[in-house]
Amino acid sequence: MSNERIERELTVLREGGQRAELAVGDRLVVLYLDVPTGGARVGLPMVTDVIVPVPSGYPANLIDLAGLTVGSPFLGRVKGGQSNQGVINAAGRQWQLASYHPHTNGGGPPWDQNRFGFHTYLDELIAWLDCLN
Amino acid sequence: MIVRIAAPESDDLRAILFRRYPSKEWATFARFGWREVPDGLILTLAGLEPQVEGDLDPTVPNVAFQEPYTLRTALRAEHHPLALGVCHSHPQDCPPRPSMIDDDMDRYFADYFVGFAPARPYVSLIAAQIDGEFAVAGRVHWRGDWLVVTRFAIERVPLHTWVGGARPAADAAARSRTERLAAAFGDEAEARLRRATVAVIGAGGTGSAAIEVLARAGVGRLIVVDPDSLADSNLERVHGSEPTHASQQIPKVAVARDHVHRIDPTCKVTAIRGALPQGLAVDAVVQADVALGCTDQQHSRLALSDLAARYLVPAIDCGVVIEGTAGQVTGQVVQLVRFLAADPCALCRDMTDPRRLAQELMSEEERQQRQVAAAEAAARGDDPDPYWRGMPQLNTVGYLTTTAGAIAAGYAIGWLTGRFDPPFGRVQLNLVGRFLDVADGDVDPRLDCACRRAHGWADQGAAEALITPPDHWPEPVHM
Repeated sequence: MSNERIERELTVLREGGQRAELAVGDRLVVLYLDVPTGGARVGLPMVTDVIVPVPSGYPANLIDLAGLTVGSPFLGRVKGGQSNQGVINAAGRQWQLASYHPHTNGGGPPWDQNRFGFHTYLDELIAWLDCLN
Repeated sequence: MIVRIAAPESDDLRAILFRRYPSKEWATFARFGWREVPDGLILTLAGLEPQVEGDLDPTVPNVAFQEPYTLRTALRAEHHPLALGVCHSHPQDCPPRPSMIDDDMDRYFADYFVGFAPARPYVSLIAAQIDGEFAVAGRVHWRGDWLVVTRFAIERVPLHTWVGGARPAADAAARSRTERLAAAFGDEAEARLRRATVAVIGAGGTGSAAIEVLARAGVGRLIVVDPDSLADSNLERVHGSEPTHASQQIPKVAVARDHVHRIDPTCKVTAIRGALPQGLAVDAVVQADVALGCTDQQHSRLALSDLAARYLVPAIDCGVVIEGTAGQVTGQVVQLVRFLAADPCALCRDMTDPRRLAQELMSEEERQQRQVAAAEAAARGDDPDPYWRGMPQLNTVGYLTTTAGAIAAGYAIGWLTGRFDPPFGRVQLNLVGRFLDVADGDVDPRLDCACRRAHGWADQGAAEALITPPDHWPEPVHM
């Protein structure tokens, strides 16, 4: 697992004003803090925390899935939020992984490790959290 | 202690060092990546520090660096993680043995650079033309000690290292068992093979054929890496395998090791049950003169091209596939791909599919979860593809894998002996086609690819690694 690469991507995120960090638990994840949402339109918070698992073999393996805290009101409103892909403990909290697959026919571009990373996955997360049903 | 040098730096280095030949010396500062392995350091020439007029004093016959070049090199080192070193020439037929002036220079630069680039090796290389041959020696200051370079691995340049500046011992006469090879390529070539180390990644049908050819050719050391045990279905392809190996589930690398020792008891075999890019396997493979990729796994292919780019290990990847339709075999294809350090990597060549890579790299548990999720999606009328994509097992057959492995081993012998080169970047041979098909020989590396940024950076280019070993893989072990 390439901590060096992930740390570099997290630095890019921080320089752009997005707080994010590596967190351990059942498995290694990237924890994005206070990600903007479209919640204001439907009476939900304007930000939320999100985790994304670090895939085995990264960056050869593509980034996939996204998790919200168990019981998050967003789970019922985001794409794939009602299709539970597992519950994991990380950063001292319980998270439910949603069926969100932007790089595997899920709405985003096909994975290209030279273009994408945890720094670009933020764009996918913002789009995901903005499109609430 | 091994120093690896690849193109284009190897050509540039010789052009610089011998620009005042035959009687006067010249020099350059250089940057090196490195990796610590259990028995020493592997250093990789990542680049030469550009020099301008006046950086060295042209009025003296020996090397005299001028302060602006030295300071510029040191200040640049504050912005990269690489080791620094000096490469200089000795006059023609003057052995590459450090003189007292060289000792003073090395002590000075080792102390000087540590102030700008702490905790990095300092490398000193000396090259000369001796009796018309390229001779090179070196030493490295690392953690307070001076270590002698025991071997140089220079891409496509077979040479005998002048360890500590001493003339190498004369080669022993060719053995009778390899006299036909020596007759074809020369006694010198036979000796080069005996000094050579070849890594073979994958000890299945293709790898075992390559291993057999290399062992019979008299290669001195083989490094064999494979994670699997032998199964009944391998017996049709794997050289040296027997039914008892399958019934006892003997690791493929142990089958290969024993087979090699039956062929040539003097061949040293390092057998690792594991896979690239696991640390133990990388530690071994970066010591090879040439690596052959003989697996049908895309992650292995990617790791091999990563090693070629970052650790300057010349590699050839080989694979086979059988294609068919309507009950007819329409293609029996052997593919060989050259990965030199300056070649396009597997990503640049579009040799990998992100979906296949992702599924290869998942744990078994994750694969099962994905397949269940895909089935559930299909049952409720949703697209199962985001969860799991069914991918057929690649078909293969023993005569094809043997052909592929033997050809790859032949090209390795060509490199090691300096007698011939693979005349391609990527070649496909279809046994039922009408002619050899040389495919995408002119593909250029992608300018934005990580393989370009990490050329020769070794461990210091870890952030540019194309692949990392999954945590769920079993720990690799020596067999």
